[in-house]
Amino acid sequence: MQEELFTSGRNLPHIDPSLEIWHWPISIYLFLGGLAAGLLFFAGLITVLGKEKDYPAAVKYASIISPIALTLGLLALFYDLTHKFYFWRLYTTIRIESPMSWGAWVLLIITPISFLWVFSYYSEIFPKWELKFDFLNKFEKFLKDNRKNMAYALIPLSIILGVYTGILLSAFNARPLWNNAILGPLFLVSGLSTGAATIILLAKTKKEKHLFGKIDLALIVLELGLIVHMLMGMYAGSEVQLEAMQLLVGGEFTLMFFGFVIILGLIVPAILELIELIGFKVPVAVPALLVLIGGLVLRFVMVEAGQITRYLY
Amino acid sequence: MVIDTLKCVGCSDCVVACQTENDVPIGYCRDWITETVNGAYPNIELELKSERCNHCDNAPCVRCCPTGASHQLDNGIVLVTGNECIGCGACIESCPYDARFQHPDGYVDKCTFCHHRLEKGQLPACVSVCPTKCMYFGDLDNPNSEVSELLKNRKHKTLAPEAGTKPHVYYLI
Repeated sequence: MQEELFTSGRNLPHIDPSLEIWHWPISIYLFLGGLAAGLLFFAGLITVLGKEKDYPAAVKYASIISPIALTLGLLALFYDLTHKFYFWRLYTTIRIESPMSWGAWVLLIITPISFLWVFSYYSEIFPKWELKFDFLNKFEKFLKDNRKNMAYALIPLSIILGVYTGILLSAFNARPLWNNAILGPLFLVSGLSTGAATIILLAKTKKEKHLFGKIDLALIVLELGLIVHMLMGMYAGSEVQLEAMQLLVGGEFTLMFFGFVIILGLIVPAILELIELIGFKVPVAVPALLVLIGGLVLRFVMVEAGQITRYLY
Repeated sequence: MVIDTLKCVGCSDCVVACQTENDVPIGYCRDWITETVNGAYPNIELELKSERCNHCDNAPCVRCCPTGASHQLDNGIVLVTGNECIGCGACIESCPYDARFQHPDGYVDKCTFCHHRLEKGQLPACVSVCPTKCMYFGDLDNPNSEVSELLKNRKHKTLAPEAGTKPHVYYLI
């Protein structure tokens, strides 16, 4: 039996009992960043494939959400910084080894593009509100002509954004729950899945709903596979990883993880989408909303549980 | 830095000396004492030791810092430049020793091995006040230094070496 206690120093509110430095804004941001990555990826992909006319929700209506999500996400990130007015220091250097540096730079590029993208559809989305100034009309035309170029940029950028939200966590070897290579792909797939779900919510035609239903189903199956891989990897891992996994399996996060993420957030929407694709009538908003809630809870569970896991004490 | 756990009595003088020397805000600390009890009565073993930033060779805090505020000097000491730090907390999450904290002014703070004292040829505050002289500080690259000699002749360990950070605070056991 081993018992460890702090005689002096460490019994401090900011350090112990658990070193929780990242609070809810980080979870919210990881969710919004993943969602925006998914939306921009599909908008870019559909445009590159030249199918804009067939899938208007994916390129037009759903993409209004991405600049909003990115802006809210950035505000959440800014809110969680403690030395806020030095944030510009992020942009005085590029640190290849730091995922956060990658993320900061990608956000600096992708956020303006997401705004420009929506602006390029301005007169189609808001036909009643005409632009008052001629140069704005010219600018919109310019963006419209360059839409395909933006789409080519969006595909790799959105993938980096989606992966980075996971790698941000997995780069910390001090937190055994996060420190596995599958978190990057898992968060990317989850982000794409929430993006597809949002497009299903906003789609008006059956064709578009069906296509994104199929895509979402495939992504959910992939995500379940990645989660199984993550858990298996930790089962076969070192003692600290086993302890970390016990938080999710049998520990305090079990209900959140299995109940809300795996069952309500993945398995139930997968079954509903499957039934819908076979031909039965299911309101598609239900699985889509469940996927979105599941994605959000996944971020909360990983961020909160990860900060409890550690090597010492 | 080498700390003799057999000599340490857990008096916390090092903690207070550090807080005074470095003007550490009330409620925070850069070093601390742990007391580890192993076994069941009557066969128990007690280990006392003073812990702090390990100034790792492969420092994860330096690796993950997005601005380069966390950096490593040529002599191995890991420092944070306050006005380059944005307070994102990545280094705090990355430290297996939980040696870092957010200063009330916003930036991240931690043990500096009293870098300002070393420049004047003095020892770190914690080492200089230790009443049992259980702490030793010196150049591990120099094979004839006191710390190198101690590590040559005594059994020792580091904390969480499995985290792969190559820590530089050694505990004699």
